[in-house]
Amino acid sequence: MNRRNFLKALALGLGAIPFRASAFGETSKLVIVQGRYAGEFRPRPNALRRLAFEIGARTSIAAVPEEKVLPLDSPELFRFPFLYLAGAGELPALSQAEIENLRRYLTYGGFVLCDDAGDGRFASSCERELARVLPGRPAGRVPADHVLYKSFYLVDRPAGRTLARPYLSGVIEGTRLAVVISGNDLGGAWARDELGSWEYEVTPGGETQRELAFRLGVNMAMYALCTDYKDDQVHLPFIMKRRR
Amino acid sequence: MDGLYDDWRIVSLSPWPVWLLAALFVLAALGVFLAARGLKRERRPSRRFLLLSLRTISMLAAIFVVAEPGVRLLQTARVRSRLAILVDGSASMQLPAGSRGTTRTAEAAAWLSKVAPNLAGLSAEHALEFYRFDGALTPIDEAAARSGVEADGEKTDLLGALRALAGSSGSGRKLAGAIVVSDGTDHEDLRGGVNGASRKALEALGFPVSTVAVGGGTVKDLAVESIAVEDFAFVRNTVEIKVAVTAAGIGDVDVPLVLRREGQPVSQQTVNVRGGEERYEATFSFVPDEIGEFVFTVSAPVYEGEAIEGNNARSFVLKVIRDRVRTLLVVGRPSWDQRFLRTLLKNDPNVDLISFFILRTPSDQPKAPDTDLSLIPFPVQEIFDTQLKSFDLVIFQNFAYRPYRLDAYLPNIRRYVEEGGAFAMLGGESSFGDGGYEMTPLGEILPVEPGGSAPTEELFPPRLTEAGVRHPITQLASGAEANQAAWARLPELPGINVTRAKPDARVLLDHPHFTVGGESAPVLAVREVGRGRTLALTTDSSWYWSIVASGQGGGTSRAYERFWSNAIRWLVRDPELTPVLVQAAQRSVEPGQAVAATVTARSSDYGPASGADLQISLVDAETQRILRAEHVAAGVDGTARVELGTPPPGAYKIEARATHEGKVLGSGQDVVAVRAASLERSDVKARPDLLREIASVTGGGFVQASSGGLPDLALAPPEVVEVGRAKDRPIWDRFWPLAVLGCALAGEWILRRRWGYA
Repeated sequence: MNRRNFLKALALGLGAIPFRASAFGETSKLVIVQGRYAGEFRPRPNALRRLAFEIGARTSIAAVPEEKVLPLDSPELFRFPFLYLAGAGELPALSQAEIENLRRYLTYGGFVLCDDAGDGRFASSCERELARVLPGRPAGRVPADHVLYKSFYLVDRPAGRTLARPYLSGVIEGTRLAVVISGNDLGGAWARDELGSWEYEVTPGGETQRELAFRLGVNMAMYALCTDYKDDQVHLPFIMKRRR
Repeated sequence: MDGLYDDWRIVSLSPWPVWLLAALFVLAALGVFLAARGLKRERRPSRRFLLLSLRTISMLAAIFVVAEPGVRLLQTARVRSRLAILVDGSASMQLPAGSRGTTRTAEAAAWLSKVAPNLAGLSAEHALEFYRFDGALTPIDEAAARSGVEADGEKTDLLGALRALAGSSGSGRKLAGAIVVSDGTDHEDLRGGVNGASRKALEALGFPVSTVAVGGGTVKDLAVESIAVEDFAFVRNTVEIKVAVTAAGIGDVDVPLVLRREGQPVSQQTVNVRGGEERYEATFSFVPDEIGEFVFTVSAPVYEGEAIEGNNARSFVLKVIRDRVRTLLVVGRPSWDQRFLRTLLKNDPNVDLISFFILRTPSDQPKAPDTDLSLIPFPVQEIFDTQLKSFDLVIFQNFAYRPYRLDAYLPNIRRYVEEGGAFAMLGGESSFGDGGYEMTPLGEILPVEPGGSAPTEELFPPRLTEAGVRHPITQLASGAEANQAAWARLPELPGINVTRAKPDARVLLDHPHFTVGGESAPVLAVREVGRGRTLALTTDSSWYWSIVASGQGGGTSRAYERFWSNAIRWLVRDPELTPVLVQAAQRSVEPGQAVAATVTARSSDYGPASGADLQISLVDAETQRILRAEHVAAGVDGTARVELGTPPPGAYKIEARATHEGKVLGSGQDVVAVRAASLERSDVKARPDLLREIASVTGGGFVQASSGGLPDLALAPPEVVEVGRAKDRPIWDRFWPLAVLGCALAGEWILRRRWGYA
């Protein structure tokens, strides 16, 4: 066996790592928290549970497929650095306490995913409110070569239940993308009911597009945890080869 | 003329002011002019000439009468100007003048004796002054100059000496010129020849400098003339050392040059010396694999009959530092603990981070072909075999080795640490006993060992132990109380890997109520292993000290940053965290100069160890023999300064060991190189060309001493000055100027009447 094959075997075929009950609980695991605000804050109640399941099944991330909901002004939020903010309508103007809490959260390492489940008003109102949270840093388009699109899967475009917005927008904090705003109802593509059926039909791309939405969700979780790891020099030749 | 007076000049003795005399002169000229105009119609030239002559004579006579000219008799004298003779008294003058073996000083003395009559001839017009110069200018008497000056100066500063001469008052007498008798081996302002600033300085002297060159012959010698190397080098990066070798009179030989680090050969080069050339260059390159300060020596063999043997070796000190802390972070799975540590390391400009995260385990199903994934194989062999030694710090974060067949590489990691590396294991369900490290080579070097099953998850505040109160890693704030308060402010942590500390480990943080074998379970423990260090943090939640702490009423992530910065500095042995710091006053010492050092001792809480006992010794770096040992007490600031004598040329270590109240605080060392020979004593080559240039720039002359004559001194003649008496003698105050005036006027009047002009 040459070195390349051996490494391949390492990467692909070795036995499972034993998981054992431990005293560590959920603290270092990925819990995606649903942000609560005045209004319909949970348009896709089963979306996050499914995404967490998929993340756990597809990657080495230990994700907790349980619901966790926290208000935006909660100090508890800091224990869960991945916040999911969804809505089908307009995001109401945030209170001063919410703004200050979110500003601190984003400045010290928190990550927020805003998901528009409606007609685009939620995404634009999120951009408006986030401009109040991080003044002077308006949301901009996430470039196609951003590490978010290669943090686990090599993804070439954003997708969700719809393809309403062909791009993701985001807000940069320091060197890191701290907020990602999707206008394509990612949650709608992820949501699956208790009986195992997809709750919403994905249009226009069907199941391929749903898979793309999951891949994007996995990449976002991977980016939240590993940031620009896939931009490290060591990964470049491999990624370039596969993208060709 | 009176015998008292030796000079005279014509002067005006009139009491009238000069302007009045000038006006009179104009009137006289006008008188002549009017007369000439009045005679224009006179056709007979003889008459015209006669009348005009009479008018001119009368006008001149009038001027003479009014201006009262006289002779001023003067007594004068010539002032002797100074002629300075500067004789080189630097150590290079002890060297042979040529193959015959007489010294340069003797050659200079012989020349002075030979030209003594010529100099005596100059003394009528010039006062001769004799000086000896090296780095300074000292007056000497003529006899001392002629019998040979003492040549022991460690410097030759030609320009400095000439400047000092120009600045000397010389009782107000003018300096007519200088004669410099030297070999020209200047290592100060003129070391690069006469150019730019030094040319201007020479021109500004204002007197001609004539030069007499001694030591023009060939001297047999081989010398390591200079070494060009940076003051510091980066560990594991190639260092280039350029060595200049000069050879004269040793014939055609291949000279082996050896570079040694504190006695151990590092590299060798050969210089092919061929008759004609005098200067050769050799380049050594090597890769330092250890940080610290080291003395290196480049040496060449000594050939028979060399003028100087001490210049065949030259030492220098090289400080080998780390560029950045090259850190390998291996992570078993992406988690918040990894995310915050990576961000911190990545943003630290002092850290060069290489990370490997296991993003997918074999049980994970990405539902996509490999080509759709950005995953790369984990280059185990490359990291843990080939590259391992290139890292300053290796961190395993929640990483189990078995799935990646790392068993074979664990001994490498142990050896890497024992040889000076640093290793940290951070908690998680795949770390310590849970990661199967018990009874492995890696487990052996950890500060903790597995201690049983995990307790139920429960938040707990980690507690600073007695050792933790003082240890640099756990210093979040300066001062014990502020530090305790800083720890108390941090959020409580959930769950730990259950371990117990090894006997030689230091527990810095422990669990406040969970015990293992009667001892509190360690949360943070450190250990010295061979020449390296290890750290165990048995929690996977140190990230709570970052974002969670920031979320607590005005908190920040500063404690987290400080903790990790401290931990990394301690792990990689940051020199500033050394308990005993030894600093040589000078790393490169001239022969005969004292070796001195400052030793600073810090107590275990890293405050100044006032009154600590310091045992300081000077050790020969090659033989490890102690040459001198001092025993001193540190001052209030924990510092002491010691002098360690004047050791012979070579490489030395200054070692210090500090104890306080019977407890060993630690030890430290620095290095120092005593140069084999100063440049003054090692550079055998005379520089007549420089002397010739000095003469040419200043307008003086140049000769070789062997010619036995004086150079063209181009001295200005001495100044003449009045020294007192002067006497005025009127010369035109007799009656005849008036008579001439009267006759001329009368004659003109009579003739004008007769010829019908009146």
